[in-house]
Amino acid sequence: MTLLQSIKNYVRSKSIHVSYVDVGSCNGCDIEVLACLAPRYDIEQYGIYVHNNPREADILLVIGAYTPGWEEKLEMVWNKIPEPKVAIAIGNCPISGCLFNRPHTYIDPPVSKHIPIAASVPGCPPRPTEILNAVLSLAPVVFKDYEVKKR
Amino acid sequence: MKSVLYYIKEFARREWFSKFFTARTAPLESPPYFRDFPVLSGKTCTHSLFCMMACPAPGAIDVLRTPQGWQPRIHKGHCIRCGLCVEACPNGVLTSGRILDSTGRDGTALSFSFKIRVDPELCMGCGNCAVACPVNKVIDTQMSHGGRASNEGLLLRVNEGKCLVVHEEKCTGCKTCEHHCPNEAITVARLLEAVQAGEEMQ
Repeated sequence: MTLLQSIKNYVRSKSIHVSYVDVGSCNGCDIEVLACLAPRYDIEQYGIYVHNNPREADILLVIGAYTPGWEEKLEMVWNKIPEPKVAIAIGNCPISGCLFNRPHTYIDPPVSKHIPIAASVPGCPPRPTEILNAVLSLAPVVFKDYEVKKR
Repeated sequence: MKSVLYYIKEFARREWFSKFFTARTAPLESPPYFRDFPVLSGKTCTHSLFCMMACPAPGAIDVLRTPQGWQPRIHKGHCIRCGLCVEACPNGVLTSGRILDSTGRDGTALSFSFKIRVDPELCMGCGNCAVACPVNKVIDTQMSHGGRASNEGLLLRVNEGKCLVVHEEKCTGCKTCEHHCPNEAITVARLLEAVQAGEEMQ
């Protein structure tokens, strides 16, 4: 491994840029993600920055049960994120549809049918700690030696 | 000048600087009383299935037959951690946070009761419900086609061409009769009540 690569690995594990998208949830998980930003959990001290623009992000937090309005649009958001990138499903909804997954509803879970999901955080809603631990444990692993793996 | 040097020596310590630039708290952990996904407490499951009846989330809990006997299994990604299965279980098979402690202290419980209703205009007296009923099968193993039996201890039987509910308190709420009725005449209502021991005594 070259020196440049090891520097990149270090930087990518210490500076993680996150963008979140709500594809039709009840807002419970959104509130838990926003609680991560607040002083109690304070994700910026771990080097996680939240953007609203997917072009600036490395990690996409997908929240919600995938309503029909998000067909093609979620994939558009996913394609805008520069490589290397991963998506994390937050809450039960992107995994199973949770309580919304009943007969005669229009939702289309799981989200992993539409974009590749690297990790999922179960819970309705998950604790901010669980979200934080998922991001912190995933980022150094998936972004490590990205240029070497690509070749 | 001397005091300035003193202050620099006293306060410009290496630990202070390193803490100032790298201060960070370890990610907070869930407290022990957090109502997390239910886990097995080690007690024996009697397969009453009240946990599955109380569960509000689709596909969150199953009771499976394992070499150790019946065992409830929680499916992460479906479970919403409401804790109703923990409260509804009469044996305390599942545990989560301090739900069992508080229900034991306050004497609260979720109790199920079942009401069977037969629509006399739709019922044809075919006896499918009485033959299919698993409670009947235990009481009268010889029950014949048609559901006409003379045993008085049966839950359901056919009397004068209509289905008759004899012992409603024996119902386990499995809804097998409902699924076997060709005419949708019989319905089973599951009533979930929150009861407290102190209130009953008054």
